[in-house]
Amino acid sequence: MDVDMAEGSTTEYPPEESSLNSSEMDAPMLESPPPSTDIPTQSEQPMKTSGPNYKTRYSLSGHTRSISSLKFSPDGSRLASSGADKIIKLWNTYSGDVLRTLVGHTEGISDIAWSNDGEYLASASDDKTIRIWDMKVGTEVKTLLGHTNFVFCVNYNPHSNLLVSGGFDETVRVWDVAKARSLKVLPAHSDPVTAVSFNHDGTLIVSCAMDGLIRIWDAESGQCLKTIVDDDNPICSHVKFTPNSKFVLASTQDSTVRLWNYQSSRCVKTYTGHTNRTYCIFACLTSTTNKYVVSGSEDAKVYIWDLQTRQVMQILEGHRGTHPTKAIIATASMEKDLTIRLWFDNRDPSMQ
Amino acid sequence: MNESLISPFNITHPTTVQSSLFALASFARFDPTGRYVATGRLDGTAAIWDLDTRSAVRVLDGHVKAVSSIDWSRHSRYLLTASRDWNTVIWDLANSCAPSQRYSTLRFDAPVVSASFHPRNSRIILALLSTGEVYLVDQRKSHRSRVELCEVQEESDDEGAGSSNRVRSAINIARFDPSGKHVFMGTSGGYILVFNTRTKTMVARHKITGAGAIKGLEFTKTGRHLVSNSADRTLRQFIVPTYPPPTADGAYIEQELEPSHRFNDPINKTAWHAMSYSPDGEWLAGGAADTATHKIYIWDISNDGQFASALDGGREPLLYLHWHPSRSSIASTTNQGNVLIWHCPHPERWGAFAGGFEELDENVEYEEREDEFDIDDEAEIIRRKMKAEEEEVDIDTVPEETRPRETQFHGVLPNDEDMMWADREPDDDREGWKLRLTMEEEWGI
Repeated sequence: MDVDMAEGSTTEYPPEESSLNSSEMDAPMLESPPPSTDIPTQSEQPMKTSGPNYKTRYSLSGHTRSISSLKFSPDGSRLASSGADKIIKLWNTYSGDVLRTLVGHTEGISDIAWSNDGEYLASASDDKTIRIWDMKVGTEVKTLLGHTNFVFCVNYNPHSNLLVSGGFDETVRVWDVAKARSLKVLPAHSDPVTAVSFNHDGTLIVSCAMDGLIRIWDAESGQCLKTIVDDDNPICSHVKFTPNSKFVLASTQDSTVRLWNYQSSRCVKTYTGHTNRTYCIFACLTSTTNKYVVSGSEDAKVYIWDLQTRQVMQILEGHRGTHPTKAIIATASMEKDLTIRLWFDNRDPSMQ
Repeated sequence: MNESLISPFNITHPTTVQSSLFALASFARFDPTGRYVATGRLDGTAAIWDLDTRSAVRVLDGHVKAVSSIDWSRHSRYLLTASRDWNTVIWDLANSCAPSQRYSTLRFDAPVVSASFHPRNSRIILALLSTGEVYLVDQRKSHRSRVELCEVQEESDDEGAGSSNRVRSAINIARFDPSGKHVFMGTSGGYILVFNTRTKTMVARHKITGAGAIKGLEFTKTGRHLVSNSADRTLRQFIVPTYPPPTADGAYIEQELEPSHRFNDPINKTAWHAMSYSPDGEWLAGGAADTATHKIYIWDISNDGQFASALDGGREPLLYLHWHPSRSSIASTTNQGNVLIWHCPHPERWGAFAGGFEELDENVEYEEREDEFDIDDEAEIIRRKMKAEEEEVDIDTVPEETRPRETQFHGVLPNDEDMMWADREPDDDREGWKLRLTMEEEWGI
């Protein structure tokens, strides 16, 4: 497995079909209306299949090579997707129509991120640049130069005046978005950085890398505050804060998703059942009334766990990102499928 | 939230310069959220700097002479600039077009020395003119007015000739208290006058013995303490008295105020350009009017006002300083126009780079636990771990202490009439309002 990992550069877009990539939203937590009475609530029947019931509504095709990232806009009305085919596509969440195609990168794109107002999109590419796109006009407004190797992950801070990015040059960089200027370069890891993001108030940054370490940083000073490492040191492929920033959700390539309390360095929840040994697959949390953990798997399925009980609640045959306010999941896969699927859970109270 | 990871201590005072903004400013003030500083320049422009990126995010060009004061509305949406060109300008930062357009302009009959928003409603404005007159301008539809706040002149009844012939002394400084209930003014004759904002009547006159002309007034966040700067080069801290509601007959309190603390520089006898309290009111910073160095004196108010330290900011003399609204940080402005951002650095903890590694401050004798080297059944360990994972986790609730709390103002009662008056016809400066990111090329700085 480790050998597999060492060929980490292929994590980008290996020409295999077995894997998934997907995304999620760092969305504001919106109050969903209370569940109506005819729907059995989770607390009553936590073990039954009355949990999530996602069904494919749309299958979106347009990308010509593996899709690397999918993100819903902050208001959930649009979905952006990026891929190894160097393009970004913008879709209407509710109708499945293509709204726009953004062209400009000279190599494949690994990750995209929306600004908090949904007006800008940042994309991280193998051409060593991060580009900022104005989503109203559909043009590129800034190019951030500085990474010395592939840029693999990117995220905005809550105010969207800063960007944080990580890449194969093993650094984490903090950028002034408006001036396209690098503010900090953190020599963060000793292997490619696979995920990096801010917490809910922008004071902390979490990063993880192929060296298997999860590090928490002080966003202002750039000092390392904490390192979390599992006993077996598996490659860490994705990490993000929970909405209250008390925990981090991390997926590792020992086919496990873990929820860590980073204050005490204790793993509080473990989610297993899926397969993840080769690729960097996103894991995310739904933000609707019922809390689920969602992750892709290398058996071409998407697994949905109950946050508290850690039971697998639903397995989506096919491909994955969750919608910020409604029970919608977007999934995408690598070659040879090349489609994005939008899954709607009509039984979720937020869909009423 | 980081504080819990970094340091168990409360706010301390800043110790070193973190960064310097080349702003050509004559003063700089933090906004209420602490994310920005606004700077005023001699050429009449004002700029807003983002402290995250340390770059100017807006330039406000609306005056033809030096900007003399800047005030932020309570949620940072509006900015009020006053200038020697007789105007005060209100800027709406929600309008992100470039170059920035004025939201409204108020013109006076003399150069404006300072102007401030009412702390609860940006449509009520207090302006001090260089002639020593103070105006309270209310721009709300049903209250529209422009009233000069005049000191009550006593008739000489039993006092003797002195007070009746007393020339009305000029006002050097005028500002709202933190609740906005009263306006405090310092006169060149060494008095502090207190006016009720709603009725615009004088409620108190305090003689400050020995102070000479009052040059500056600063409050703690709650409004409980007040520090004055005066011509005798001494800062005086007072406990603010509570004033009864104004009466119909215009009675006021005539009372001498005795300072609870005095702060000065006993050796150099320097005067003070500015002072500012820390957000918790536990520290007071004074900016020395030294012509050769940049010195900030810090006094520990919680420790009976003891002198704590003097910060040295280099060779450019200090003009102004302002303490951050929530953190241990100060913005001080030099006479070259640079804004120094002071902070209190945490020492880098290299141990944080190693997982499961705890740094100790001092040596401790390690005592092994009774079962530390027992051989555990692995299945048992896993079972116990799974058991521990049954526990519910809360991933949504933001811990209470990270949310800003409503400040309890000194001398304000629940359902205070003055507060309700100020809250009528509120401005649209809502909490959680955010400055829009603009991708404009250079802002001319």
